[in-house]
Amino acid sequence: MSNIIEFKNATKTFGGVAAFKNVDFTLKPGEIHALLGENGAGKSTLTKVMSGVYRLSEGQLFHEGRAVEFGSPSEALKAGIAMVFQETNLVPAMTVAQNLYLGEEKFFNRLRGLNIQARQFLAGMGFQVDPTAQVSTLGAAHKQMVEIARAVHHKARVLIFDEPTATLTPEEKRHFFNLVNRLVKQGVAIVFITHALEEALEVADRVTVMRDGEVVATGKAADFTRNSIVQAMVGRNLSETLHGEARRAPRGYGEKVLSVENLSCAGLVRNSSFSVFAGQVTGMFGLVGAGRTEMAKVVSGVMKRNLFHGGEIRLFGKSVRYRVPRPAMLDGIVYVTEDRKFDGFFETMTAGENLQIGELSNGSNPVSVVSLSRARELVDDWGARLKLKQINDRARMIELSGGNQQKVVIAKSLIQKPRLIIFDEPTRGVDVGAIVEIHQLINDLADQGMAVVVISSYLPEIMAVSDRILVVKRGRVVEEMMVSDATEEKIMFAAVH
Amino acid sequence: MAGDKKATPAILGRGPGKPIKINQEWVVIAISVILFVVFSLGLDKFLSEGNIIALLKNVSILGTLAVGMGFVVVGRGIDLTMVAVMVVGVAFSIWISSWGIDFTLAALIGAGLAALLGLFTGIMIAFAEIPPIFATLAIASSIYGSGRIVFASDVLYAPNNVQWLKWIGSGTVFGLPASVIIFGVVAAAMGIFLRKTRFGRLVYATGDNPSAARNMGLPTRPLIVTQYVISALIAFTAGLIMTGLVTGINTRLYNSSLIYDVLLVVVLGGIGLSGGQGGVRNVIVGTILVGILTNGMTILNFSYTSQNLIKSIILLIALAIDAIINPRDEQTSQSGDI
Repeated sequence: MSNIIEFKNATKTFGGVAAFKNVDFTLKPGEIHALLGENGAGKSTLTKVMSGVYRLSEGQLFHEGRAVEFGSPSEALKAGIAMVFQETNLVPAMTVAQNLYLGEEKFFNRLRGLNIQARQFLAGMGFQVDPTAQVSTLGAAHKQMVEIARAVHHKARVLIFDEPTATLTPEEKRHFFNLVNRLVKQGVAIVFITHALEEALEVADRVTVMRDGEVVATGKAADFTRNSIVQAMVGRNLSETLHGEARRAPRGYGEKVLSVENLSCAGLVRNSSFSVFAGQVTGMFGLVGAGRTEMAKVVSGVMKRNLFHGGEIRLFGKSVRYRVPRPAMLDGIVYVTEDRKFDGFFETMTAGENLQIGELSNGSNPVSVVSLSRARELVDDWGARLKLKQINDRARMIELSGGNQQKVVIAKSLIQKPRLIIFDEPTRGVDVGAIVEIHQLINDLADQGMAVVVISSYLPEIMAVSDRILVVKRGRVVEEMMVSDATEEKIMFAAVH
Repeated sequence: MAGDKKATPAILGRGPGKPIKINQEWVVIAISVILFVVFSLGLDKFLSEGNIIALLKNVSILGTLAVGMGFVVVGRGIDLTMVAVMVVGVAFSIWISSWGIDFTLAALIGAGLAALLGLFTGIMIAFAEIPPIFATLAIASSIYGSGRIVFASDVLYAPNNVQWLKWIGSGTVFGLPASVIIFGVVAAAMGIFLRKTRFGRLVYATGDNPSAARNMGLPTRPLIVTQYVISALIAFTAGLIMTGLVTGINTRLYNSSLIYDVLLVVVLGGIGLSGGQGGVRNVIVGTILVGILTNGMTILNFSYTSQNLIKSIILLIALAIDAIINPRDEQTSQSGDI
């Protein structure tokens, strides 16, 4: 069978840093091809080249045997290659039918006709979605169905899914795979990026594993086992810490640092209560949009809770209400953001200067003299402690790798001497080596007696670092369990049901 | 397969940074030098001592204002009230001194008024969270309008028996006009303040990423308010220099393009309007270029309108060159996220 997509010796670099290099990859019509690898291995970038978001720096991309270079996602779509993104690409304020036919409306657009057309089309695919429903009211699974339907409508011959099942309930997952199988029978090729290895082994025909931007293993799914994939993915023996297979006794309860009662905030957090203890890692799991981040932001003063019926927050037994983050920081609460580029670091400054700002944030005298050599001292000191790799003294933050950026952001927060530190998705967009080091750091902090909260939507991470796990659903903490009692299934069950 | 340990540093590490970066600052210095040489060779009056002194005096007002503006722009703000504060603050001092109050005391009261106006602007921006460009635009008009109502005439003359005002106008230190010395002192103080103090570092942080600054608990609101108070006081200082040089102040100056010249100096010098970059050195570089340019064009007898036109074209060229030399594209913006 001929290949519908083929990469030959392909390399993509961003500013001199290779996202992937010398990659050979083939995709055949009518197959499900699982693309595996840790965060930062280059999977997403590879698929983004396929779907026209990026262009290759070197090497070639063949589509049905012809060398092609897609200039934009719409060009790729015309060639029949569609990507279903993790964060959906639908217009939330429009209906399902309007989203399906977006961009091809007739001059006189008749909604009724559109709805009928959409209803037939969706029914033909076996989707139970109301075409007149507004997309913002749909759940994650239905949104994904609409995306898939849109891709099929555009006669996609190659469908790329980036973590399609992360937000789905078990039942929705079954529906999803049924649909995928039906598409495959029609000869559609599927690329499937996932972290759920069992799932990949179960549904995929072929598997390709990437590590540090290179393809390290590829072959028939039947030839792989979970362990051999993990081995290939991490390349060294990290699997235990990374995937939470090592069960351990949870740490005990220290002093009660934070207690939150009936917290409410603008419909995102509803009547939520929980506590955080010193010397322990409290994991907060929830699907995207469950309100975990908002809870953390209210606690750390980034957001304000409701003025009336907003609930109560107590820090070491003292009732507090923060309108801005500064008093929270001075009281020892530090929030490490999930989106470091947006509100985590100062991009035109060097790593050392960023750390120095952390040191300066505690002071009160505005005209105290700042030592310019202190920035270098800080970066040397913390660089050794956090294993910052090869930081050029003069490199600006924006030029560092994701892992180094995250370490600097964490170091900057630790310099502020927090008593309660909240990590929001601490390993998002971080390379595999750094993930392990950051997890180790989180454990060390708890061992030193700090109260640590880790928010994550990646179950293995929650299992790996937490002592106590809080599950958040629709703006509320709905379940609490010790890690020794928890299984991934139990947590997921609480988060989606 | 090359999947060994050597692959990792290539992804994590960075090559050594380029030691010398051609940036806007150097481009502007080069243009200044070229202009200076061309004017020196082409215009016989340009290099005369009188002209150089006149150039320096003109530059001192513009430069002082630009130091204040640069300070605000580094913190990702913009202060369009500067000229209004300058003319109204000084006119107020002169006005109350006409009641018989000693001019020195009147100037201090005027400085107090300027500080209050800056405080108000800062509060509107930091607490009411109005975007700086709109807040200062509206407040500038309000200040000027109020001034026009209170002061009966456009031009107010300072009393001619104030020694220090005379010194500002005609005094010299080591052969340099006093006004230039004042500019130098203001610029040097600001330079040290920005680079060496805690406050200065936090201004850079806030300008670089306001959300991150707020998130990590920097006192962003007090920082912003203080910046506008300081820039108002600097504007008042510039007003005193002007009063010393021309023995009075014309409130209609507000309607001139002075505030845009100040912005031109700041942007030309290389302080990006997106904040967090540049410093007093950039202000000085920009001031020198605009000063030489204005002086040369005045000797050449260019009309006011054509001078403005030329200045705006130069601003556009500088911005374009900067964009070409320091591109912001997919490669630079995405490099951290692989």
